[in-house]
Amino acid sequence: MSSTTLTSGGAAPGAERPRRQARKMPTKQLLGVAGILGFLLTWELIPRLGIIDARYLPPASEVIAALLLDFGLTAFWVSVGETMKAWFLGLLIAVVAAVLLGFIIGSSSFLRKATNSTVEFLRPIPSVALIPLAVLLFGVKIESSLLLIVYASFWQILIQVLYGVADVDMVANNTAKTYGLGPMARIRYVVFPTALPYLMTGVRLAGAVALVLAITAELVIGSPGLGREIALAQSGGAISGMYALVLATGLIGVLINMLMRFIEKKTLAWHSSVRSEVIV
Amino acid sequence: MKRRFIAVLAAASVLGLSACGSGSPSSTGGGTATGTAGRASDLTKVSVGVIPIVDCAPIYLGDKQGFFKEEGLQLDIQTATGGAAIVPGIVSGSFDFAFSNLISVMVAKDKGLDLKFVANGASTTGEVGKDIGGVVVPAGSDIQSAKDLAGKRVSVNNLSNIGDTTIKSVVEKDGGDPQSVKFVEVAFPDAPAALANKQVDAAWILEPFLSKAVAEGGKVVSWNFVEMSPELDIAGYFTKADTIKGKAELTEKFTRAMNKSLEYAQLHPQEVRDIVGTYTKIDEAARAKIVLPQYRVEFNKDAFNTLGEAAAKYGTLTKAPNADELLP
Repeated sequence: MSSTTLTSGGAAPGAERPRRQARKMPTKQLLGVAGILGFLLTWELIPRLGIIDARYLPPASEVIAALLLDFGLTAFWVSVGETMKAWFLGLLIAVVAAVLLGFIIGSSSFLRKATNSTVEFLRPIPSVALIPLAVLLFGVKIESSLLLIVYASFWQILIQVLYGVADVDMVANNTAKTYGLGPMARIRYVVFPTALPYLMTGVRLAGAVALVLAITAELVIGSPGLGREIALAQSGGAISGMYALVLATGLIGVLINMLMRFIEKKTLAWHSSVRSEVIV
Repeated sequence: MKRRFIAVLAAASVLGLSACGSGSPSSTGGGTATGTAGRASDLTKVSVGVIPIVDCAPIYLGDKQGFFKEEGLQLDIQTATGGAAIVPGIVSGSFDFAFSNLISVMVAKDKGLDLKFVANGASTTGEVGKDIGGVVVPAGSDIQSAKDLAGKRVSVNNLSNIGDTTIKSVVEKDGGDPQSVKFVEVAFPDAPAALANKQVDAAWILEPFLSKAVAEGGKVVSWNFVEMSPELDIAGYFTKADTIKGKAELTEKFTRAMNKSLEYAQLHPQEVRDIVGTYTKIDEAARAKIVLPQYRVEFNKDAFNTLGEAAAKYGTLTKAPNADELLP
């Protein structure tokens, strides 16, 4: 547990916290369910009351029925698989690239200054603006989706890693140096634990962005996946089928967020932001 | 702590891998892999970019009938959801051949890309009252014919393309002022809703939305394709001039197989309706009712010139295209 002692521990509130959380959880979940039900009810009523023509926005019940029907189709799961493949590969490439570059750039103030303007220039370019480039390079294959996903999620993670690396406690770093830890060991035991919470935040944000871009690429370019199915349903006039697929993408987004939070909680179990009791 | 971290990472990667695994069988939009994969080794692979619409049915049908295999070609049909990926896909070499409407290729050629058609794709039926595209107005609209569109808002799926060019031309033919028509960009699937909500006064719609709009009480005031020319070709298969020169044999084989597919599709409309169901999500009831385009081998040069001259006149092209350079 050397890493925990080296990073500034920060006293967490005592044993009172878990109990409070335990009492809070059911209400929170109930409110969540109520929110979803309220949304579905509003959606159901809008076309039923004729506020929007039901031909163009079918009621929620009809769309959910179409979604349940989709769940029984192999083609649906193949598309989900394609989308998740693009999401996972894109995110993986972005994480690896951003972590490597983030640690290299972050560890040198010269590199930080030298790359700052470039990063700030490239970061705000919307990934969708790269669609023509993606199509030109890769056609309508998964590589086009990957280009957009990696570009969008890379900056999310890189910026976080840079902040994380910059946040290293100089005293801890100097102490490690005094104790004879080499550069690699210092990265492992001092820089990495400090940067990890930042990195996890970056990855969680990037996870959502990667899904948005995966669907967008499939929708606009036509690379395989749920997005293309949405476009197909739309151009074929299958309106409730289309909304069912849109709903499916929303569900995937929720699942991805839950997965990310779970990973974050597990990897940062030792960190003061997550752990619920003081480890002495 | 370290062990748990590794365990979580492992779990995450397994999740990811299983997602990869389930993605391997390609059965959805493309839907061509079945049966063709068997003797892939001695066939030349040819990738063709198409749009999942009724107009592209012949290539799917020809693939199913084995016309491409007979020529030693293994088709890799790739669906782009819109025209946006088609021309770049050809330029970059992602596609050997691709399907597009005539104006899009004329525009690309006008901008300096050396493109050329290798086969016809879809043509107007030539029948007023029964064509694949038309300008629809709601019941009770005061727009009676093409000339009344002057000064009105008309939706088209793409500005400066085949829709507004043909509509301007028929408005002028009917005695209206083509320049006063206000074109609004609305995708075909959204056009009926835009019309119902009065966001536009008239909507240019193609099948499968046209027959639906008419069934729901809409009135067609102009059959813009056939009114422009009863012989008008609307879309075709094209490629780079480099491909035609560098891969002359491949081009000839593709053209032969494609032409055979067009002839077959023209003779077997029911098979066209059936195969459309495999690569689009148009339901069976709608497929039974839609008007099919005419599939024919030869391009009509006069109609091509009429279209090109109109596009140049209304500013979509800088000058009228040379049919001999563009047509096979």
